[in-house]
Amino acid sequence: MADVLDVLEKDHVATESLRRSDQALRLPVVAPPTSLPLDPPLVPQVGEQTHAVGLRAQRPDSRNHGLGLTRYIDDIALPGMLYAKIKRAGISSARIVRMDTSKAEAMPGVHAVLRGSEIPTNVFGTSIVDQPLLADPIVRQAGDGVVAVAAVTEQIAQAAIDAIEIEYEPLPGVYDALQALEPGSHKVHGGDTNVYARKVIRQGDVEKGFAESDRIYEGRYYTPGIEHAPMEPFTSIADWDANGRLTVYASIGRITLARVDLSRTLGIPISRIRVIGTVVGGNFGGKNEIRHEPVLALLAKKAGRPVKGRFTRVEEFIASTIRHAFYMDYKTGVTTDGKIIARKVRMVLDGGAYCSFSETTLGKACILSTGPYVIPNTHIEGQVVYTNKTTAGSMRGFGAPQVCFAYESQMDDIARDLGIDPIELRMKNFFRDGSMTSTGQVLHSVKVAESLQNAVKKFGWEVR
Amino acid sequence: MKHRGRGLASMWYPVGFTGYANPSGAVVKINEDGTAVVLTGTVETGQGSLGVMAQIAAEALGIAPNDIHVVSGDTDTCPMDTGAIASRTTYITGNAVRLAAERAREMLFDVAAGMLRVKPDMLEAKDHKIQVKSFPSRNAAIGDVAYKAYNDVGTPPIGSAMWNPPMIPMDPETGQGKPFGTYVYATQIAEVDVDDETGEVEVLRVTASHDCGVAINPMLVEGQIDGGVHMGLGFGLYEEILFDKTGKQINSNLTNYIIPTTLDMPDVDEDIVENYDETGPFGAKAVGEPSLVPTAVAITNAIYDAVGVRITALPATSERVLAAIKAKRAAEQKQIPA
Repeated sequence: MADVLDVLEKDHVATESLRRSDQALRLPVVAPPTSLPLDPPLVPQVGEQTHAVGLRAQRPDSRNHGLGLTRYIDDIALPGMLYAKIKRAGISSARIVRMDTSKAEAMPGVHAVLRGSEIPTNVFGTSIVDQPLLADPIVRQAGDGVVAVAAVTEQIAQAAIDAIEIEYEPLPGVYDALQALEPGSHKVHGGDTNVYARKVIRQGDVEKGFAESDRIYEGRYYTPGIEHAPMEPFTSIADWDANGRLTVYASIGRITLARVDLSRTLGIPISRIRVIGTVVGGNFGGKNEIRHEPVLALLAKKAGRPVKGRFTRVEEFIASTIRHAFYMDYKTGVTTDGKIIARKVRMVLDGGAYCSFSETTLGKACILSTGPYVIPNTHIEGQVVYTNKTTAGSMRGFGAPQVCFAYESQMDDIARDLGIDPIELRMKNFFRDGSMTSTGQVLHSVKVAESLQNAVKKFGWEVR
Repeated sequence: MKHRGRGLASMWYPVGFTGYANPSGAVVKINEDGTAVVLTGTVETGQGSLGVMAQIAAEALGIAPNDIHVVSGDTDTCPMDTGAIASRTTYITGNAVRLAAERAREMLFDVAAGMLRVKPDMLEAKDHKIQVKSFPSRNAAIGDVAYKAYNDVGTPPIGSAMWNPPMIPMDPETGQGKPFGTYVYATQIAEVDVDDETGEVEVLRVTASHDCGVAINPMLVEGQIDGGVHMGLGFGLYEEILFDKTGKQINSNLTNYIIPTTLDMPDVDEDIVENYDETGPFGAKAVGEPSLVPTAVAITNAIYDAVGVRITALPATSERVLAAIKAKRAAEQKQIPA
């Protein structure tokens, strides 16, 4: 009996402590008004002294963030607002043969269904305009949207897209950037090549440079596709007024460009579009272009009600963009005293199914691929290819973290092989004010040597 | 057994778009009491850029950041901006805000010149006053000048400006050109422990020294560096989207796609290199993206220092590091002479 009581008591204690910790975790969603510091200073600052640059000033939004009062896009709800869901293909390369939306349309609570064929200009992109808002009829990545629904709740919208029947004819596909280069590979956008952007930078004579080098180092480096993983997934709201003027609320970092893309895809003048950029809950480059906004606008127009669309975490992975995977070949010619005199770089970027910000990423990667070093003879060539994988786009660093991984890995290998201290080797080759880059740009404001010296001092790096 | 290692990596990074126009506009309106409103088409993306814009306008107008309200992110009311991308906001939007504030200030100077009986070019704005240069006791409160501009002279001060970095597009054949207005530089050093039985890598501390020109707000620069190191840590050790043979992602959720948590974060020691870039607003450049760039390779260089293996494919997961250690041991054993 005592044992049973003991167990019950333990059980009770466990439940009680769980309940308490649960309560402790439940913070009020909105801080009670009495705690609002309505009296000035709203943002504590220095008084009369007005030297503003260099000041560790408190951010104007920090109090709202701290008190949970910041209104992110998902905190906005308009009267009568519907919720959209987009059906994802789930197959990487296919043709849509048949689509039956009748069951979804008959569902109570469903107000609008939209297919790609109903979009006035069903294609967008920041340089090469090649990405459909809803695939029609060719699917090029598993995350492609194929049909969209607006309903009174997110759950009904989800049930409706689940009820839509689609028949696909599977097509061949290509799933590796190097395979995509082969002549016989499947061509994601037709034509005779998957290469959609190339970049060449040449300075000096790289072969002569190699001939004059005492040692030559070669290396292959690879970096994978990664996800931005912002806390706030893509969310937007579309709302029309009686004059046919559209307001889009969106957590997009580039509202001016978004307005242009909305105008082009919807076929309405820019003066009839307003884009309100809400506080972005994490961007890291992933929210630099439209994603589903024209689809939401057309659903809202059909339904005669505002429509909100919110990506799930899985959609954030499969239907937004990712960082480009890079294959990089580095060949570097060095003198025995550690002067880099020639570098040849070849890189292939996996662009995924559509262009997005690939051209910019390729350009920056090629320019930066020499590293912050004076190299008189350079030859850099990069290309980005289509594959039937998730579209790669802009992500914090635009190719720079990838090439930095290659050039700084090789820099350490060179130092070790030559028996030169890695700091000394870098100091010997660093850009200085007036140095010339591989594109022929003369640099000013160069502080790379100072950054190394500061870091070494702060870290406490001792030569060994 | 755990082995300690250290690795360093330097980098450079440009500010703005690659050889393409990427302008920003800005409007600065001075209120009747000498406070001001800034209109910008950029959006706050978490990095604190709107506070930086307030600090830049405040510096130009001789008032405090707290005196400025920034309106942003509305295509109906705000001037054109290329947006929160390419680490360009402080440098490019900041230059536009500085120029717009200076134009609004010129209108104040015209009014104050009459009040103080000097030429407008003899004036400066400082400490909430419009004062005669090198003769600051001869001054008028900025609020009085603004009030007079609104109600007596009839010239409510508004300044608008736009800025685009000077560039020369790259030649398509040779790539020669001047694609960017300026660049920033950095070096990071990582210290790691590598377990040679499991391949597990623990990053203990990172020293990050960044050149961003003049730091408009050093606290925000340090915040960006911390965030960049966090992202670089994920790129270096954990993150990889895995695809099956038919191009479908197999770890498309945060259970199987591992990003670092606060518990994985090393101590970060931030350093801001002293610099002044004459092309930036009050000498400022950028720090947003660059803070992530050298972290991953500083870590893999530290792994080499610790256990002598070169990781050539990211991420340096425990499996990859252990496989490299085993391969190295196998190769070393073969070298024993017969």
